[in-house]
Amino acid sequence: MKKLRALIFSLISVFLLVGVVGCSSGDSSKEASGDGKDEKVEIRFTWWGDTKRHELYNAIVDRFEEKYPNIKVKREFGGWPEYWEKLTTQIAGGNAPDVVSMHQFYVADYARRNALLELSDYVKENTINQGEFPESVVNSGKVDDKLYMIAQGVTMPGLVYNKKLFDELGVEYPKQGWTYDDFTAKVKELKSKGIWGVQDFSGGQLQPNFRYFARSNGQDLFTKEGKLGFKKETLVKWWTMWDELRKAEAIPDAATGTEYESAPLEQNLFVTGKTAIHQIPANQLYLYQQQFPDGELAMVTMPTVDGGEQGEYIEGAYLSITQKSKHPKEAALFINFFVNEEKALELFKVEQGSPGSTKMADFVKPLLEPAQTKAVEFIQSAVKNASPAPYSPAGVTELEAAFKDSASAISFGKMSVEEAADKFMKQAESILK
Amino acid sequence: MQTFKKAWRRNAVAYMFLSPWLIGLLGLSLIPMVTSLYLSFTNYDMFTSPVWTGMENYTQMFEDSKYLASIKVTTIYVMLSVPLQLMFALGVALLLNRGLRGLKFYRAVYYVPSLFGGSVAVALLWRQLFGGEGLINRGLALFGIEGTNWISSPDTALYTLVILAVWQFGAPMVIFLAGLKQVPLELYEAARIDGAGKFKQFFKITLPMISPIVLFNLIMQIIHAFQAFTPAYIVSGGEGGPLDSTLFYTLYLYQKAFTHFDMGYAAAMAWILLIAIAIITAIIFGTSKKWVFYQE
Repeated sequence: MKKLRALIFSLISVFLLVGVVGCSSGDSSKEASGDGKDEKVEIRFTWWGDTKRHELYNAIVDRFEEKYPNIKVKREFGGWPEYWEKLTTQIAGGNAPDVVSMHQFYVADYARRNALLELSDYVKENTINQGEFPESVVNSGKVDDKLYMIAQGVTMPGLVYNKKLFDELGVEYPKQGWTYDDFTAKVKELKSKGIWGVQDFSGGQLQPNFRYFARSNGQDLFTKEGKLGFKKETLVKWWTMWDELRKAEAIPDAATGTEYESAPLEQNLFVTGKTAIHQIPANQLYLYQQQFPDGELAMVTMPTVDGGEQGEYIEGAYLSITQKSKHPKEAALFINFFVNEEKALELFKVEQGSPGSTKMADFVKPLLEPAQTKAVEFIQSAVKNASPAPYSPAGVTELEAAFKDSASAISFGKMSVEEAADKFMKQAESILK
Repeated sequence: MQTFKKAWRRNAVAYMFLSPWLIGLLGLSLIPMVTSLYLSFTNYDMFTSPVWTGMENYTQMFEDSKYLASIKVTTIYVMLSVPLQLMFALGVALLLNRGLRGLKFYRAVYYVPSLFGGSVAVALLWRQLFGGEGLINRGLALFGIEGTNWISSPDTALYTLVILAVWQFGAPMVIFLAGLKQVPLELYEAARIDGAGKFKQFFKITLPMISPIVLFNLIMQIIHAFQAFTPAYIVSGGEGGPLDSTLFYTLYLYQKAFTHFDMGYAAAMAWILLIAIAIITAIIFGTSKKWVFYQE
């Protein structure tokens, strides 16, 4: 008898413990909503960005919750590299947010691994309205002809410079549509005036920097079949160009470059006045402008190879719904609110690029700061030259790392350009097998 | 069978009370470990289900130049940081053991770095200290020396992390200090009467008497050093650069798992690390019979 009592006690204690754990993740999804009509639903939304964007997106989400009191949106966010690491882990663990921010460079990987929901049904039944989206923008959200993401904002990379600094140094502004030869000449000219022309982009950011060079040479990073899309000679040309600039001390030495590589915007080489030209996505122009209270920033297109093709392709930020979302309908409502409603766009303006909907792009125009207007104009003129770019195959992050490794082997003088290119081509072959 | 039933009946209550812990052991340690062993024989990208590949992950490692680089970096780090840290810790413990006034205060002060040593904040601080325009170089500039960019030069980056490890000598120091307090004073008195100098006393009395403590600290710090992750992750921005010079084993493992989605390979790496640490610990235990002295 006594034993039985002890057994019961111990069982109770276990259940109590389990109960404690269970309570901590309280279940709110079954509570009745305020107006009593709909069931209360919770969805999760995640994005990448800096502090300012986090404030902005929180405000937009608040407005969504105001409009749909029965939907509660839980928010998750982080910086760019952490964002992707976290998302992968969450998707693998089956607890990814319902609405996720997506990017061209990675979407194919997620879509082809069946991590994202096909959205065309929601577009057909008009939960997500893409009526005002140009066809090229709609298509930029497709992988293998299936719609996986809706454009929040379309942007284009370009090179930014401070007009005032160029005036002071007596250097002419770069011209739209310039070539890589003009570019290296300008960088060297800046060096002769006592400032590094540009930071070392030989290895960081395979996309967009090297991609523009490859595309201008009539190639690309990848083929449609997901193989490497450029020749070794192109890579040798690219790294030789940077190596010559480095040897002329027109760009920072390898150690300095490495130190500033991951610096936040406020502390990078361009903002601290160590370099004169910098590559940025146009939507960030106004963030940079805020760092230069006196002196007007201007943007110039990415260079092309003399007589070569234009490198432009459509880039930007997108929204997707994950495959395992329990409330895809609400998630679709949320996406529609984000890209089509004035209340959202009033705040978004051009945060991650010019709005996908042309109607909304016109709506935000009068609300913009001068730097934002300039960015939109830049994007709109560059988009005209854009042609489609093949999606990245699986293993693209590994490829990026290998590319960077080989580039730093050159910059630290451990390998010749030829050796590094050989090494990379061999690695690429085994990564993209 | 009968005895088993009897034993169960007798111990059922005990198991019930143990169950919260047992559930934890199974759920948080044992099951994940077995799963990881299984995954190490598969190709698993976290999205699709694992595919059995046999020993492929294990054989692939020895053709992976980055993997080999990570072994080299980790070995140098362990071989340098552990002895230096222990010597430093023992040195400070000896100083503090001389009946200093305010011992408690100093002990706490020297222990502080170990408290936040593994933290992100300190690694960030290290970047500032050893950066191109960091404090160290400004100090050197006062003497007219132009320092290099310590953190972002492949030749020096690893050594800044060794210094960071040595600086966190607090935990072994406190243990050494406790050990030193246990050495009977009569031994020193007898030695002095016999005319032994300070050095002789240290090597003939102090060191043998605290040798079990040295063994303990040595093993703990070796394991700790093999598993170092945070400093390299923060200082190199998660990349192990420049030129893989700070690519610790655990950092590469992390990259494989969470940036290249190669969970199977990462799991195999984890098992190799476990086996390597086990072997090294076993070797140290084996040799310890020769140099560790237990009273009685």
